[in-house]
Amino acid sequence: MVDSPNTDQIYLQTRDSAWRVRAQRGWELTRTMLANPTTVIGLTIVVLLILMALSAPWITEPNTPDAYQMPRDWSAVRVPPGSPGHILGTTNRGGDVLYGVIWGARTSLKLSLMVVSLTVVIGVVIGSVAGFTGGRVDEVLMRIVDVFLSIPELIFALAIAAVLGPSFTNIILALVVVFWVKYARIMRSQIIRIKQSEYIDAARVIGDSKLRIYLRDILPNSFTPVMVQATLDMGNIVLVGATLSFIGLSEAGIAEWGVLVSEGQAGISAGRWWAPTFPGLMVFLWALAFNLVGDGLRDVFDPRTESAR
Amino acid sequence: MQIRDYILRRLMVLPILIIGTSIIVFALTRIGGSPVGIYLSHEMTPAQVAEIEARFHLDEPVPVQYFYWISGVVRGDLGWSGVAAAPVAEVFPNKLAATMELAIASGLVAVALGIALGTIAGARRNRLPDHIIRIVAVSGASMPMFWFAILLLIVFWVNLGWFPLGRSDPNIFASIAHPTGLYTIDAILAGSFKAFVDAIWHLVLPAVALGYGATAIIARMMRSSLVEELQEDYVDAARAKGLPERLVLRRHARRNALIPTVTVIGLTFGFLLQGTVVAEIVFRWPGIGRWMAAAVLRGDQATIMIYVMFTSILFLVVNLVVDVVYAYLDRRVVLGE
Amino acid sequence: MMSEGAEKNPSKSPAPVVASVADLQVHFQSKRGIVHAVDGVSFDIHDGETLGLVGETGCGKSVTARSFLRLVPKPPGIDAGGSILFRPRTTCDACEGRGCESCHQTGRVSAGCSACSGKGCSECVQSGEETLDLMQVSNSRMRSLRGDRIAMIFQDPGKALNPALTIGSQIAEVFYQHRSAEVLDAANVDVSGIDPGSLLLKRQAAQQSRTIERTLLKIPPLRSRRNQITAAVDDMVADALAETQIANPRKIMQRYPHELSGGMRQRVMIAQALACNPDLLIADEPTTALDVTVQARILELIHELQQRRQTAVLYISHDLSLVRRICDRVAVMYAGRIVEISDADQIFQDPRHPYTRGLLAALPSATQSRGKLAAIEGTVPELVDPTPSCRFSGRCPNEVETCARFDPHLQSVGDEHSVACFIYHEPPEGSGGRPTLAARSS
Repeated sequence: MVDSPNTDQIYLQTRDSAWRVRAQRGWELTRTMLANPTTVIGLTIVVLLILMALSAPWITEPNTPDAYQMPRDWSAVRVPPGSPGHILGTTNRGGDVLYGVIWGARTSLKLSLMVVSLTVVIGVVIGSVAGFTGGRVDEVLMRIVDVFLSIPELIFALAIAAVLGPSFTNIILALVVVFWVKYARIMRSQIIRIKQSEYIDAARVIGDSKLRIYLRDILPNSFTPVMVQATLDMGNIVLVGATLSFIGLSEAGIAEWGVLVSEGQAGISAGRWWAPTFPGLMVFLWALAFNLVGDGLRDVFDPRTESAR
Repeated sequence: MQIRDYILRRLMVLPILIIGTSIIVFALTRIGGSPVGIYLSHEMTPAQVAEIEARFHLDEPVPVQYFYWISGVVRGDLGWSGVAAAPVAEVFPNKLAATMELAIASGLVAVALGIALGTIAGARRNRLPDHIIRIVAVSGASMPMFWFAILLLIVFWVNLGWFPLGRSDPNIFASIAHPTGLYTIDAILAGSFKAFVDAIWHLVLPAVALGYGATAIIARMMRSSLVEELQEDYVDAARAKGLPERLVLRRHARRNALIPTVTVIGLTFGFLLQGTVVAEIVFRWPGIGRWMAAAVLRGDQATIMIYVMFTSILFLVVNLVVDVVYAYLDRRVVLGE
Repeated sequence: MMSEGAEKNPSKSPAPVVASVADLQVHFQSKRGIVHAVDGVSFDIHDGETLGLVGETGCGKSVTARSFLRLVPKPPGIDAGGSILFRPRTTCDACEGRGCESCHQTGRVSAGCSACSGKGCSECVQSGEETLDLMQVSNSRMRSLRGDRIAMIFQDPGKALNPALTIGSQIAEVFYQHRSAEVLDAANVDVSGIDPGSLLLKRQAAQQSRTIERTLLKIPPLRSRRNQITAAVDDMVADALAETQIANPRKIMQRYPHELSGGMRQRVMIAQALACNPDLLIADEPTTALDVTVQARILELIHELQQRRQTAVLYISHDLSLVRRICDRVAVMYAGRIVEISDADQIFQDPRHPYTRGLLAALPSATQSRGKLAAIEGTVPELVDPTPSCRFSGRCPNEVETCARFDPHLQSVGDEHSVACFIYHEPPEGSGGRPTLAARSS
């Protein structure tokens, strides 16, 4: 097999058509995904939320000097929804709930994008190293992963954020420390699985270097499970992040949904339901939407799991 | 035989994981700086500070400090809680009882309800009950608990006034002994029906808030594994024997569908544990979760360390138990890797 | 090994019909339209005979078989018409099912028609015997037939046994469901009273107990009586297992399916299927999932048990050489239709339908030189909304224009031999030419 002069050519051809097959499959999968109504609902909400986050400075007048701080209207404290200038009412410190809802989307987008991109990079690198080198390095790295997984994630993040001190940046850091583990696991198992499959043997026979095999064959094939997890995490991170903020680990007064719920919580016994209700609803919608899309993706990519239809 | 070996092997790994957790926890808190602050006041002289540092071994290198700490923990000296203004070991049992009562109540409800709903949805796949249960389940997994808990309070405490806030009516419970610290059990032991009702009354809302997410996760898993099992050949074979549909579902399909669900129940326990932090804050429940939250905000390191250690160990043990139950349920399982 | 044909049912006189399928149509809803999986299938099964149903994967043979037990999932399955008439027998009174002169050693006797008390009426299609249309009977009646009068052996015994239950408790279910009176009898438990204990035990023997009742039955006074029931059922299960030549049945009963070999599991399935001495046994490729060495022994076992009890067997297979060995009659299915049905020897010696000819030509034989296996050209047609035409047109070597425009039906071409092909009968008027065998090229 190896001496045939055409092998390299055949391999290149196969790989080209592999890309075509992959593109075609991608199109088919997109269509199957869009045939599922719950996925479409999720996707619609995701798009709307992101649009809201991106266009926040144009929908509302940004607060100065820092738009991520809640504006305080001390002349209209605790007004109910429907009041002039404060459609969703204000908190007991004069914070406009609508402003918080809209800029909270921007905060959440910032939070989830940063955490997801950082954790994916860290997880993929560590998982790849473990999966590739194997042996003792793999053993040690996976034990570390096990230890990380043995602490419930919210409590772990809570402890880290506590140590670092209450601030939004520290919440991001804490979430990064907690959330990279899953990607390392996914990546490692993918690599081990793919390493054993025949087409990698074929590539090795042709004489591809390890790096080239990694970049050309393994990385693209591990893409889908990482993407599914990342989509689900886009929702989860906002959920956990808002919970940490609610407990009090953000700076008070920033335009973040969890902070707003916490600020509004005190007023419920006096009947001021609106301040916690609307921002909390946003967290729910955000998490729900990304969960629906993530489930849709998983159903399409991994048909063994029960489809949502 | 096989199962016993498996348990032994898992038990041998357990200390390694626990030691690993303790190192991470200790290292984490030391990143935040020396805990000497809680022992100091403004009037102290540098000499006095040094003396205190020496007394608590804070002048030693961090690994040595870890050794002092862990040997203290082993001996039962869990440190001083600044938040509770008392030794951690003294406050812990009572607060733990409060948390456990809440977690167990919602856990039991979540398991029973989750399995029941999942079974109904799976058996009536793609019909109305299935659709409703699926909507409930999907939203449960994305529900921010702090929000759901507050909504419950707004509706049932503020507006309807059906359920109270807090853990108990102090007037009723003042006269009752607390041998277990679990108020429902204490009330039964004291033979007070009134106290028992009061304890349950106070439990309902927090248990519902805490249990909703877990119920959703269990129901979802139960449904999908039941749907999968119902497509297996042995289900048709059971029908071919003449079994009524009720038995086909209960005796055959559900038994097998429970196997993967058990694993999820273990994960759910971690979900419940961490949920207690939020539920206890919102419902003013005097458990370890709310204590932890306060400790986090006030830099009470001893409490944080013990809390994280304790929940992790609990989580590990529960997952070990779940794995053993799983191995017992699934006769085909090849134990180990 | 069996010698070919020697052990087959020697009597040529037609035995009574136990089941009669008439114009059975089972369709499936699919994204691309309605799939006519079974499209007008008719055949009879006689007492004590083995009827082979042969065809390629997806030709509708399994769907036909499952229709007997109404195990076709609906949706997506649709009953599009036709009937399956079945004559359930009852246990012979004279010998209580053990086999005697009056029941010809089968242990079963025919049941009289309740509508005409044996004189023959429209209810029983003039047979005087109880006759049920399996497509119409109530669900509860269907359930009482399943596993009792009609039993089924599945293709893969590894999947058809519940992994979470012991072998013994799975076979016991058949007795609980269909023989609860006998169980109580054998257990010597007096349940004639109307006291709660007797009711509980009666429900237990019929596998109707709920969790609470089972807990109550663990309490001492009832416990010993419950244990008697369990012991009686265990005896019955052990006997059933011993029938299939399993050594040490008591030990096997406590095992879980995964602890047994494939052949052993299939023996368990057979024991379970024959536990109630059924009138009709449906065997859906029972040896396909087994090792070749085990296959022969399982086949022999089925054959032997069937001979002993004169059970009618519907044997589903894609393996012609196997069918030739064990079947009395053979029906060849193609794309949802039966294209040829006849005596087994006849069909192998004188195949008429071009498809059957093709199948036989594809069979390796001792006389043929190696390396020349014929294959049938083309692929099986789509069964979505078919137009009236011979299903084999497009692949048939003898095809003429008529075949693509008209639908041939099964018609007799001789003694008990029917073929659906225009070669053997006149196509409808206005059609073009008629195919001949001579048209076959080389």
